[in-house]
Amino acid sequence: MTTFATPMPGNEVKSPNWVQWVAWALTVICLAAGAYGFYLRFTEGHAAASYGSYVPWGLWIAAYVALIGASAGAFGFAAVIFTLRKTEYYGLARLAMLVAFGAFAAGMTNVWLDLGHPFRFWKLLTQTSWTSIMGWMSWFYVIYGLILVVGLFLTRNGVIPKFMERFSWIAFLFAIAFAGAEGALFGVVGARALWESGLTPILFLVEAALFGVGLVAAGALIFGAMNQQAARMMGVAMLILLGLLLLLEWAEYTTALYASVPAKTSAVMTILTGPYWWVFWGLHLGLGVVLPGLLLLFGRGNALLTGIAGALIAAMGLATKLNLVLPALAQEELDGLAHAFTGPGLTFSYFPSTMEWLVWLGTLGLGGLIVLVGHRLFSLATPTRSSASK
Amino acid sequence: MADIVPKENLLVRMQEDIRRALEKPEGERRWGMVIDTRKCVGCHACTLSCVAENKLPPGVVYRPVLDQEIGTYPNVTRRFMPRPCMQCENPPCVPVCPVNATYTRPDGIVAIDYEQCIGCRYCITACPYSARTFDVGYTYTEGTPEQEVYELLPNYEYGVEHARVPGSEESPIGNARKCHFCLHRLEQGALPMCVTTCIGVANYFGDLNDPDSLVAEMAAQPNAVVLKEELGAKPKVFYLV
Ligand code: SF4
Ligand code: SF4
Repeated sequence: MTTFATPMPGNEVKSPNWVQWVAWALTVICLAAGAYGFYLRFTEGHAAASYGSYVPWGLWIAAYVALIGASAGAFGFAAVIFTLRKTEYYGLARLAMLVAFGAFAAGMTNVWLDLGHPFRFWKLLTQTSWTSIMGWMSWFYVIYGLILVVGLFLTRNGVIPKFMERFSWIAFLFAIAFAGAEGALFGVVGARALWESGLTPILFLVEAALFGVGLVAAGALIFGAMNQQAARMMGVAMLILLGLLLLLEWAEYTTALYASVPAKTSAVMTILTGPYWWVFWGLHLGLGVVLPGLLLLFGRGNALLTGIAGALIAAMGLATKLNLVLPALAQEELDGLAHAFTGPGLTFSYFPSTMEWLVWLGTLGLGGLIVLVGHRLFSLATPTRSSASK
Repeated sequence: MADIVPKENLLVRMQEDIRRALEKPEGERRWGMVIDTRKCVGCHACTLSCVAENKLPPGVVYRPVLDQEIGTYPNVTRRFMPRPCMQCENPPCVPVCPVNATYTRPDGIVAIDYEQCIGCRYCITACPYSARTFDVGYTYTEGTPEQEVYELLPNYEYGVEHARVPGSEESPIGNARKCHFCLHRLEQGALPMCVTTCIGVANYFGDLNDPDSLVAEMAAQPNAVVLKEELGAKPKVFYLV
């Protein structure tokens, strides 16, 4: 039995194809936009943002949870491949670790810039409150970041060490705990009826897995690292996860609407029929579920279509998370609050400001840059094999 | 006439109540407030005096007065409901803070350590009463030819001088902020500003642990209710309805 990864088309070092050029171009555009956004963030502070007192979290927090979720999903995907010793997908697993790191860095930059005092972030580690899920998450991030960097470094020559294969199940469990805890961050907030649900962490797990595999599929398309077999495998995984996501959303929304508890019903109605209804129906359902679902169904085993479907799913992850974060906050907690006292930030409507969009683009550019440079740095184009094959 | 004019000055009685409370160890006090919605006329004096006392910038408010309309026209009534921080006994905002910047003091006031707060705003999302606001860093006279001096005056919340430096991210800019029952005044034996300035004396304030205090008497009235009782936050602000 050979333990060499089946060479995939494009696995050998070669000059970048056109998809890579597009990826580079988008990354550079995002970084250029982001540079101006970062400048605004540090010169004008939060005053240039649209979030405030009543809607305290906005685009950046939605992007952060979407990216961190996708990162955990991609990491979990790699861990499963190593645990099951699927040597034919080892190359893909290394790529998954890299995109997981890129998404992680982008997500963390979003949340870092969202802090009122970004340069006090170290207090999260030196003065952690263990009653806070956010406190726990801070340590999870440190451990997670280290695992990713060490994992990428150890596999940079294309050989997967034996211990990684043996202990990947632990990494897989960690990915589940990590993504679930991210959901618990919202699930435990009793004040927000939309978040406070036992389903929230489960939803986060499914979304993490879905966005993660989507991101890996998109990455595999960019680097030409997907053959028919891999496309089929990832396509099936994404279809199953899409189905699960729909099932959970259906359960959550229909029970809320039927029970008619005002706080939750109004949040769900905001999602379905509010001013940004198109985020749910158009971006999330249309471009994030139906279109990729069709591409995957009719393009089974087709690397291009699977990659495009994955990219759509991963990109529309933001819409999914926007629909979690914002409608829950955009509810008057007490009748009459909206008009009791007015001023900037004392409003229940929110649309990201130019500065927020620019910074967000910049963080995506940063993630993209990490992946594009990391692909060379960690020699991801070299064929990958298990150390057991020596 | 004798029935209309109160026999005692309620403010003076409350003042005495808090002086008595201050003689006790901090851990034995339990500051609380009762708001008589039947006496509130919705003048917003409390809101504005709080803004002035704590030098609140735009976008930050500690005690808005909610104007609630009950019923459908023409069968409507109006109710005014001032909403300070409830200083919950089981405050959902405290355990979520990742750096222990928000905590319950021994006297029951939920405080924020401005120098410790990282501005993550998790507590704002966790408060069921929207009692927390985010100090983004605005000033009222920003963009006008002259930055007014009063905007730069320090506030003395929590008994500490906090200078305001517009354009910076120096605390309290970048922090979560909320009502603290004018702790800096309380510790000097003065009532919270909203209580002092209420034109109808619709607020009763004092030590809930003192059965002789006016506030304890009022909180024990059968028509005293708390908001969103079902959430279990156990507010120490009661409403007479
Ligand atoms: S009202 Fe809100 S801010 Fe005040 S103690 Fe309760 S939960 Fe905390
Ligand atoms: S905003 Fe400040 S007080 Fe509130 S949870 Fe974050 S660190 Fe704690």
